[in-house]
Parts: sequence; structure tokens; C-alpha cells
Amino acid sequence: MNWRKSLACALWLAGIVMLSAAAQAQRVITDAAGRRVTIPSIVTRVADPWPANNAMVLMLGGADKLVATSDQARRQPWLRKLYPRIALVPAAFDAAGEVNIETLIGARPDVVLMAYGGALPKWAEAVDSYHVPIILMPNSSLEGLKVTARITGEVLGASESRAAEEYIRYFDDNIHKVLRVTSKLPDSARPKVLHTASGGILTVDGRQSVIDDWINIAGGVNAADVAGLGRPVTMEQVAAWNPDVIIVGTAPNQQSRQAILADPRWRQIKAVRDGKVFVNPSGAYLWDRHSAEAALQVLWAAKLLHPSQFTDLDVNQETRLFYARFFHHQLTDSELTSIMNATAP
Amino acid sequence: MTKPRAIVLMILAPLALLYASLLIGRFAVSPGDVTRILMARVFPIAHDWSGPVETIVMQIRLPRAILALFVGAGLSISGAAYQGMFRNPLVSTDILGVTAASGFGAAVALLLSRNALQLQLFAFIFGLAGVALTYLIARVYRSTPVLMLVLSGVVVGAFFSALLSAAKYVADPESKLPAITYWLLGSLNAASVQSLASVLPPITAGSVGLLIMSWRLNVLSMGDEEARSLGLRTEWLKGGIIICTTLITAAAVSVCGIVGWVGLVIPHVGRMLVGPDHRRLLPAALSIGATYLLFIDDIARSATAGEIPLGILTAMIGAPFFAYLLRKTRGSWL
Repeated sequence: MNWRKSLACALWLAGIVMLSAAAQAQRVITDAAGRRVTIPSIVTRVADPWPANNAMVLMLGGADKLVATSDQARRQPWLRKLYPRIALVPAAFDAAGEVNIETLIGARPDVVLMAYGGALPKWAEAVDSYHVPIILMPNSSLEGLKVTARITGEVLGASESRAAEEYIRYFDDNIHKVLRVTSKLPDSARPKVLHTASGGILTVDGRQSVIDDWINIAGGVNAADVAGLGRPVTMEQVAAWNPDVIIVGTAPNQQSRQAILADPRWRQIKAVRDGKVFVNPSGAYLWDRHSAEAALQVLWAAKLLHPSQFTDLDVNQETRLFYARFFHHQLTDSELTSIMNATAP
Repeated sequence: MTKPRAIVLMILAPLALLYASLLIGRFAVSPGDVTRILMARVFPIAHDWSGPVETIVMQIRLPRAILALFVGAGLSISGAAYQGMFRNPLVSTDILGVTAASGFGAAVALLLSRNALQLQLFAFIFGLAGVALTYLIARVYRSTPVLMLVLSGVVVGAFFSALLSAAKYVADPESKLPAITYWLLGSLNAASVQSLASVLPPITAGSVGLLIMSWRLNVLSMGDEEARSLGLRTEWLKGGIIICTTLITAAAVSVCGIVGWVGLVIPHVGRMLVGPDHRRLLPAALSIGATYLLFIDDIARSATAGEIPLGILTAMIGAPFFAYLLRKTRGSWL
């Protein structure tokens, strides 16, 4: 063996050692469950079954790192529009939240991102046995949404982390902008808001939820005094609550709104009599849920509930700016209409 | 209990409970208002109540209570007829697969985001189709032996249950899946004047049909051979009973989801009270079932701010009661 060959060989070996050292460098992240999770210092492959958080990852600029997602995320019409590759990312998780462990491990993720609902996901043990770290993030309040943005950014990397901080500042600004007006409102000036959840069957979104949070910030009161999202209630209970405003959430919003307007049982409800039945906008994810667009939801809801107090607020313009700034997408007029009306692009 | 008194009680109990149900609910309505709103339909009375109150009573409580009466009555009389025809006390209305098929139809409608009336139509048609399929599979040499019917009912039921699971599997967990799940647990919240108009005719027609056949049911419950030797055209009779019960069950399931237990147990309560003669058992089942489901639904809609699924309550309240009856009578009516 001549000296040149040996030198090349030595350099090659040194290169391998350095690369693997870099790859093995690790850092620790504290997640929503309070666990200290060790992840690689450079994360390039992320599995994320949580649809709302897929939009978050996209917004923070890390979507190209997605190597596994869920069926539900791949079906979000606006997410597909903003990020067509999502349809090609393998769905390691089905709509029921079950994992296909071979697809997941085959995608070789550095880390799995997931919502924390008070317990580890049922597939946590299976994933753990392959030494893939799972990072859990809050999913039931607007404060938690900021934590989710921060952790997601931190996991993805430095530029994503900066994007997350920028987003959180913007989010806080919006909340303060709204609260400056609505915090002074007396209880008598706070309309009762009913937020309906699913089509076909009457379910409503109750207290202790993201939805309750933005209703309160926007200067309203949640009419539904039940706990949790998507609770089934009777027609008569809705009449007893007699909401001043009804906001129809989750697809098919337009159709559910028409059904409410056409139903004689709803006719005496104040919101219906006053013509105050609205469709909740929906974009990369449902604005009303634990989604990045909750930053817009607080503005939209504030303007909806108190138009005279927010005359200088142009929600359409804010929406255009938001998608341009955070999703790097210039909305056309028809796209804007589609988001505000919660229809597919 | 002497006979006339029993008959009067069987007629009065559901009606009395119907009136009581109009007074119960989450929305505060004074009993006086309820009575005057009802009277105003017949007599000229000044309308001195507020608008919502009339909607609550006439558009929400009354349709829902009437629906509870009819669904309870229909499921019970169907269960009684099937238990007689299959000569088996464990049979209930979903023996031929109607419930699973209707459930799948409803799930499809929910997946396709159809409105309430279309959902009803889907569930009804799928229910009828499921039973038709069962009947065709069971048909051998121009006859449908009971055992073949039961087995093909199991087959069709399993098939549609699998389809239903598949529908739940692909449903969006944020909006569609909860809707399907709640629908399957059963609820009378869909009750409205329109839904009554589409559901009461099949339930009434089926019940009248069964009442007409109640004497022949007595003969049939002795067995196919005996019934034939007594000159009964058993194939026609069985077909008639299946058509009537399927009309009832498919209509009931289509509007209020799956309400278990009623069709299985109320017939037994009826047998304890009036004996096994179908000429008395079927009317008794009508009355007891109607009263029972209305009572349960009053709890479902007014006990909490949320709606408690019917399927949970019918069994949670009904099972201990039935256990008590079992112990008390030591099963002597079986």
C-alpha cells in the first residue's frame, strides 16, 4: 500500500469518526409530561401523527424533515394545498391513532412528536423498544399551544426555534391587542357563544378547552357549561342556554350551518333569530382547535363578537399577512374566501 | 289483576307518562304553560307565553316523547313476535342483522356528511337490505327453516359489523368518528316533526300487522310442522312477520341509533304480566315498551346538561330491574 492510499484511508476513517460523533451528540428536552427526553443534537427525521402539529411543523419551516405522519394529516385539504409533499409522507398512524410500527421504524425517525392527553400514547412502549424518543406536547389550552410551538421548534433545530419564538411573539401581541379591549368588558356585554363540534349529531365544545380559552379572550362566554370538547347535548339544553352567537366548527361547517337555520327547533334560539350563526374558518388546520392559526382565531372571534370595538381590525388583511409571513404563501382572493368559509381549496 | 282494570292501566300508563314528560326538562317551563299550550291547539286560548316556551313544548319535547313511545313500543312488539316465531327467549330484534346493517348505513351517511333526514333514509334502506339478504341466504327449497334464518342472520350481522368497523376506521377522528360513535350509542335527540312523519308510518304499519297475526303466532310458536298440519301457510306467515318487524326496527334504528335491551327484555316482562298468549302479549309489549323507553329517555335528556346515550341507560336501569323480576318470579313464566 503506498502512502497516498494510506492517507486517503486515514482521512476517510477520521471523517467517519467525526460524523458519527456529531450524529451521536445528544441534547435533552423536557416535554409536557415532565419527562427529560434525550434526542440527537441534529434532528433531520421527524415522525408526527398529530394533524394540528403537522401544520405547526410546516409553519416553523421543518416540514421537509417529516418522514412519517397520520392518515388524518394527509387528508387535510389546506395542508395538502400548502405542502403537497404531505400526501407522500408515509402514514405510520391511522385515523384511529393506531401505529403501524414497521412503517414507523422503517421511516427511521430521530424523534416522534405527539400530543399529551394526560397519559402516554398506547404505542409508546412499542416505539420505546426501538429506542426512538417520543416528545409529548400540551394540547388543551392556548397557553399550551405556545409551549407546543416552542418545543416543536426546539426539537426541529435552530432556525425552526427562531420561527417559533417569532410566532409566539406574534400570538401574544394578538392576544394583548384583543384583551386590551375585551378585558374591560362587563359581564353583561359578553355574549354567550355556542361552539358546535360535529356534523350529523348535535355535539358542542365545552369548558376547559382551547375553545373556551379563545371565547373568553375574544370577550364572550362559553354557553355550554359542560366540560371537554365534542360533548353530546339535547336540543332543549341548547334552548335553555339560549346562546347569543353560534359558531359552527369542524367540517362540513357550511352544511351544518344550513341544517341549523332550516330546523324549526332552532328557530327560537336567540342567535338564530338575530342571524348570528357563523362558520368557523379553517386552514392548514381548524382555526378553533389547537392549531397555529389560533393566533388568527382570537382576532376573528373578537371582531365577530364585538365589531364596533374592533373597527380598525381588518381580519382579512391580517389573515393574508399571517399566511404570507408564517406559511410563505400569498393568498389569492378565492383562497382567502375558502379559508374564511371553511371550504376545501 | 282483573282484566278490564289491566287494559285500562295499559292504555293510561303511557299517556300519563307522555303528559308528565312534557313537564320535565332542562328548560324551565311551568306546568300551567304546558297545559295551556296543549289546550290552545284545540280551544281558542290567549297566547300569553313567550315564544321559546311553545317551541320547547311543541317542537322539542312533544316530538321526542312521541318518538320514545313509538320506538319503545315498536322494538318491544318486534322482540315479542321474534321470540315467538323463533321459539327462543334469547332472540331480540337484531337477530336477522337489521341493526348492524342500519348502523353501517348511518355510518356511511355520516361519512358522506349527509343531513339528518338523509341519514335516516340511509339507515332505513340498509336495514331493509340487510334483512332481505339474510332471507335470501336462508331460503332453501322454497322454505326458510328457522335455524337457517338464525345462522344467515349471524352471517349478515357479522358482515355489516365488519363494514361498520371499517367505516369507523377511516372516519376522521375529529368530527366524523365521534358522530358515528354517539349515533351507535343511541339517542332520541334527532326527534323533530319531520322525523316523526317519516318514522311513525312504518312503525305503525308493522305493529298493526303483527297485532293482526298475533293468533297465528300462537300456532307458529308450536313449531313449523305443527302449524302446517293445522293448515297454516307458515312460509307466508314467517315472511309477513319478518317484513313487519324489519319495517319497525329499521325505522326505529334509523332515527335513534341502536337501542339495545328493550326488544329483548320487555317481552319477558310482558309474559310475566299477561302470560305467553300472543293475543295478549303483543298489546302488553306495546304498552310496556312505550312506557319504559319514554321513562328512560326522560332521564337521558334531563339528568345532566349533556345528553346521556340511551344505550347506556336502557341496560343500566333495565338490567337490575330485570334481575329483580327474575329472582322474584324464579323464572316461572319461561
